[in-house]
Amino acid sequence: MPPAIEAAHLAKTYPRRGQPPVRALEEVSFSVAAGAIFGLLGPNGAGKTTLLKILSTLLRPTSGTARIAGHDCVAAPLAVRRQITMVLQETAAELFLSVRDNLLSYARFHGLAAPEARRRADAALERFQIVDRAGDKVQDLSGGTRRRVQVAKISMADTPVVFLDEFSTGMDPILKRSVMGYLREEAARGRTMVLTTQILSEAEELCDEILILNHGREAARGDLNALKLLSAGVYEIRIIFDRLPDGLSGQIAALRPLRSIVEGQTVELALRSGDADVLPVVNRLAAGAQVRHLEIHGASLEDIFVQLTGGGRP
Amino acid sequence: MTPLAAMAYREARIRATNFAFLFWDLLYPLFYLLVFGVGVNASLNGAALGDGVSYNAFFLAGVLGIASFGIANNSAWSFFLDRDNGIFFEMLTYPMRRSDYLLGKMFLNIGIAIVQAAITIAVAAELLGIGMRWSRWPLLLAAVAGGAAAWFFLYSIFALRIRRNDLFNSVTSIFYFVFLFASSLFYPIEALPRWFRVTALCNPITWQVDVLRYATVGLGQGAAVAWEAAAFAIFGIACFAFAVHSLARQG
Repeated sequence: MPPAIEAAHLAKTYPRRGQPPVRALEEVSFSVAAGAIFGLLGPNGAGKTTLLKILSTLLRPTSGTARIAGHDCVAAPLAVRRQITMVLQETAAELFLSVRDNLLSYARFHGLAAPEARRRADAALERFQIVDRAGDKVQDLSGGTRRRVQVAKISMADTPVVFLDEFSTGMDPILKRSVMGYLREEAARGRTMVLTTQILSEAEELCDEILILNHGREAARGDLNALKLLSAGVYEIRIIFDRLPDGLSGQIAALRPLRSIVEGQTVELALRSGDADVLPVVNRLAAGAQVRHLEIHGASLEDIFVQLTGGGRP
Repeated sequence: MTPLAAMAYREARIRATNFAFLFWDLLYPLFYLLVFGVGVNASLNGAALGDGVSYNAFFLAGVLGIASFGIANNSAWSFFLDRDNGIFFEMLTYPMRRSDYLLGKMFLNIGIAIVQAAITIAVAAELLGIGMRWSRWPLLLAAVAGGAAAWFFLYSIFALRIRRNDLFNSVTSIFYFVFLFASSLFYPIEALPRWFRVTALCNPITWQVDVLRYATVGLGQGAAVAWEAAAFAIFGIACFAFAVHSLARQG
């Protein structure tokens, strides 16, 4: 059985009149096993969208190959499209049709028989908490509810690969948690989920494997544990003081942290430090002040991301 | 349901939700026939044109041409609607060929054009008493359907290549004006200055309208009309190929 997704030496260059071409993607190779949840991270302009467009047949690569379930994205685009569901970053819906019609219309394109399409639409309306809006035109819905309609389409067809570009935009925390649970269930059934997200904690919680892109190139790839090894020696420290000690900002600057936030009485910083140095650092910061709460733990995905991409935002 | 049928059905559902579209598609061309056509006919005191038909009869094919042109414009404009709704790129990832996307829209476009033509012809025959060549209905049907398809593909090229709605409207308005007036749509071209006549003869609207005129009221020579029909078919196929190419370059 072929991997769900295979990319080999993918490159995409956009020519520009009178200017050097833009290399959006360079030599990107990876594969994703069926049933995995794969995270695609990177700062803005890193090449995530270009990669998704190539994998979903919207763009042709300049060089290299991409395969979905064994089908070549350039040579057999129709076969690839039969394998995928794409949830784009921008809200995409038939504004003049009702919520239910949106789901049924999507099912028709995937060749579902009418009774099965209706059954799935009922289940999707229930799961995505839009039953009471089923008959409303999508143009009358809020942005968040439109997003639900869009994401609900993934349950209308059993495509083996699902691409989700910023799926949680506009969702409240309860619905987001429910959708994340649904994505895990679908992955357990063998569907492969590829997601990009701005919210790194989502990727940390959901993804079996993560690819971090930066300037069109692979910056790192692996499961969360493997990525954390890249950041060995990076610690996150969170201290809540009674009152902030004098000269704290100068002390923090002297530590040259990977990132730091001071909000109210709370200080959060991520810094590279030897195991033996962490507690002395905390002692120095806390000197002359009462500490109400202290947390020290290893690097988060956000720290790794910042370290690998030079501080860019995802 | 095949993706092609799903596409045509989707277009029909969306079009049916907008009564303004239905008005412009189905009824607006009748104003040309009943206001402009009847007005010119009256100003000519009902005199027969060179070929022995009234202006009303002569202009009927022109109205059918205007209708197919206008309906195609509305159908192509739906690309902007798809873009505005964000669904355009999502649909390009659906399990269908790029040509299915275009053909689905085209089939609905043809359906509307045929309904519109039926209404126009009924009004022309019953209200204006225009003598129809009913035996030529298969040719009429082919000319209406072929015209609707070809103009839709032409407008699709504009809609896909010009990504701004306002620019699309400006370009197509100019195009509409030039194509319609530099053709045999409003007047017989035989009496026109030579340069004008040559321009009109090179205009695909003239080819379609001449076929429609031959099929509705019997004007024109069969052989010449056959050549024009062939030229128009080639024009339509070329537009289809170019439109598919334009759609394939989206992304």
